[in-house]
Amino acid sequence: MALLEVTNLTKRFGGLVANDDVTMSVNEGEIVGLIGPNGAGKTTLFNSIAGVYNPEQGKILFRGEDITRYNPEQACQAGIARTFQIVRVFKGMTVLDNVMVGSYLRSQSDADARERALEVLKFTGLYPKKDYLASALTIADKKRLEMARALATRPTLLMLDEAMAGLNPTECQAAVDCIRAISREGITILMVEHVMEVIMPISDRIVVLNSGKKIAEGEPKAVSADPEVIKAYLGGKYVARS
Amino acid sequence: MTFEILAQAVINGLLMGFVFALVAVGLSLILGVAQIINFAHGEFLMLGMYTAFWMWALFGLDPLVSLPISIGVLALLGVCVYKLITKRILDAPRLTQIFATFGLSIFLRSLAQFLWTPNSRMIQNSWVGDLRVALGGVYIGAPQLVAAAGAILAFGVIHWLVEKTEVGRAMMATAEDRDAAALMGINTEQMYTLAWAVGSACVGLAGGLLTTFYSVEPNIGLVFGTTASVVIALGGFGSIKGAFAAGIIVGLIQVVGGFLIGPAFKFAVVLTVYLVVVAVRPQGLLGKY
Amino acid sequence: MLPVAAAVIALAYPKVFSLPYPQHVGVLICMNALMAVAWNITGGYTGQVALGNTVFFGIGAYTSSLLLRDFGVNPWIGMLAGTILSMIAAVVLGYTTFRLRGYYFTIACIAMAEIVSAIVVNTRRLGGAVGVTIPIRDASLLNFQFHGTNKAPYYYTILTFLAVALFVVYRVERSKLGYYFRAIREDEDGARALGVNPARYKLIAFMLSALFTSVAGTFYAQYVMFIDPASVLAQPVSVSMCLMAVLGGLGTLWGPVLGAMALIGISEATRVTLGGTGQAVDLMIYGLLVIVFAVFQPTGLMGMLGKLKARKE
Repeated sequence: MALLEVTNLTKRFGGLVANDDVTMSVNEGEIVGLIGPNGAGKTTLFNSIAGVYNPEQGKILFRGEDITRYNPEQACQAGIARTFQIVRVFKGMTVLDNVMVGSYLRSQSDADARERALEVLKFTGLYPKKDYLASALTIADKKRLEMARALATRPTLLMLDEAMAGLNPTECQAAVDCIRAISREGITILMVEHVMEVIMPISDRIVVLNSGKKIAEGEPKAVSADPEVIKAYLGGKYVARS
Repeated sequence: MTFEILAQAVINGLLMGFVFALVAVGLSLILGVAQIINFAHGEFLMLGMYTAFWMWALFGLDPLVSLPISIGVLALLGVCVYKLITKRILDAPRLTQIFATFGLSIFLRSLAQFLWTPNSRMIQNSWVGDLRVALGGVYIGAPQLVAAAGAILAFGVIHWLVEKTEVGRAMMATAEDRDAAALMGINTEQMYTLAWAVGSACVGLAGGLLTTFYSVEPNIGLVFGTTASVVIALGGFGSIKGAFAAGIIVGLIQVVGGFLIGPAFKFAVVLTVYLVVVAVRPQGLLGKY
Repeated sequence: MLPVAAAVIALAYPKVFSLPYPQHVGVLICMNALMAVAWNITGGYTGQVALGNTVFFGIGAYTSSLLLRDFGVNPWIGMLAGTILSMIAAVVLGYTTFRLRGYYFTIACIAMAEIVSAIVVNTRRLGGAVGVTIPIRDASLLNFQFHGTNKAPYYYTILTFLAVALFVVYRVERSKLGYYFRAIREDEDGARALGVNPARYKLIAFMLSALFTSVAGTFYAQYVMFIDPASVLAQPVSVSMCLMAVLGGLGTLWGPVLGAMALIGISEATRVTLGGTGQAVDLMIYGLLVIVFAVFQPTGLMGMLGKLKARKE
């Protein structure tokens, strides 16, 4: 059984169908990339899994538990941690305090939470900046802080919403390394990404959405060769870039 | 007989509702364009009423004659408050914005108390003061009628300004997205100033009209200000039409609620309705989101 | 070091200033500081601008006073009953308003307070607009009444309450609660994504705040021996406690205490120097100060001290 199973999920906003009968799954230990052109419904799907939206139809199972109607905090308590497309760090708190908020979720004591937070900071390389105010960080560091914060909740599944957007190539590479390291720790990763080049090499599997529907799923190579994917997504855009 | 009393209450409530609506439209315009709730809006109204009162007491001007003066004074006050205070905290946390205008409300209220004592003052024998129109068994006070007419007229003008003119469109664009509007070549600074001027002018007008049938005292802004906040919350924050409609509804609720439960509870009835509405619809009665 | 010095000064104050007036000012400062510390839990740490906390002050004052007047219940028990009622009120208020964000919440708090006030004003049983006079008992700590010109017993009583409140806040600041409160203030959606249930923690903050405000209410009644809606159930009460927290420094342990000292100081100084009209003048200065601080010094007096300290180093 897969870790996360999304079956026949449909989510509408008024007359607009953002997700149309989407079925997909994520297996334990995988890195799965969720891609698609603008407005494909990636973020909607992501948010439905994370408990932000309640889908009209369909089911979301996480470790066999029905989490379809969960709210964000319940989803996190169940073991799904996430980052945000537009960073939502706690600006007025220090880096360490940001991570502490996450680590309290599964800590018995204050000392425990602190220890876990410091551990995560070292793991993500933010330790030297632990006493900075979060507002003083660069975009790349803010994104990394969100990752650290999410990791501190000891998730089974980590969901990253455009973790690379707005980063320069060096920062991108650092982020990729960090994601790989997280994966090696045994944490399953589902990432939404707009930039194809970064997601292809690190994903075990790719799910492609277009106009709310899933149009392809499989290994990166197979997906990027899929004519429908090329038509819908890679097509003009990819050619124009290179 | 009871029917006539109820009809009277409904008429009174409706007419008062137009005044609430005018006050709320001003507040809503400032919130909509300049992204800030002016918690001193009630005190602005109080100053509008005092302007009319002193024009009458010192120069013998009827409040209807001095309307342009109270409108002008308040528009000027709005611009000053924007330039001196709220302009500096446009990007500050909401907490800061709330406190700044709250501080202003305390300042203006105590200033009025200091300058003009806490006593309540009433304009005697204004032109329309004692006139009333009989309609079957129901009487309509001329001052209330004039006030309602003024409110409707003002709303019409503002609505036309916002919907039909170039300036209004620029104002709404600024309300949507300040940075985008600036990129489109709109002078957003001017738009903010204008919103504060027009929004405050609304209470200048409302204040002048109110003095023909309402006494003025330093604390008058508390009730009117709170009511206006409730009205714009019900109407959906920033919506001008919503504020106008909600103002009328609140006027009706107040008087009819007071009639049914007791006049001492009329304000409490409005607030209870607000709590019930936001408990069911957190976005307000007419708000979209 | 600094807290120890503060404690010594606070303890020695009524011995050094043995006249009734300075002792009275000391009582006022401690009582207002207690209210501001309580308000700071919701307003400062959790970031919910609750402008209706006069409800809890009023419940504290009215519960103990009416129980004493009508049933002869000891004010300490009345105080306990008041805190329980206040916390229940906080749950009701919180439950109806916790989904509301920003202005909706603030306005809902104001509305709630006005409704309670209207009910008390119009209920003769509760003393109506006239108010309630607290019956006189023998002066003793057990009776929560101390007569005569020596205000020191009252002073030490309220100082103890304040110290307890400060200790609780100090502990909360460094625990899960404190971290969750601040996370909710900074970004509610961000906090939810980390498993924080905002409704639950806002309620806890609100209940803590209600508890201490209610204690201050009972104290006020026993100190002044007379309460009416205008003095304990009025918007200015709600506003003044938040102003002290704002001026002192939101979300800081000592900020509300500094704010209370500053505002009570200003208020008493203007009253003494300007006499009868003083009441409005002190409020004018309040108002101006709040504007100036909101615009130029949003971190309050504590922020100013922090800057000074940083400059020295």
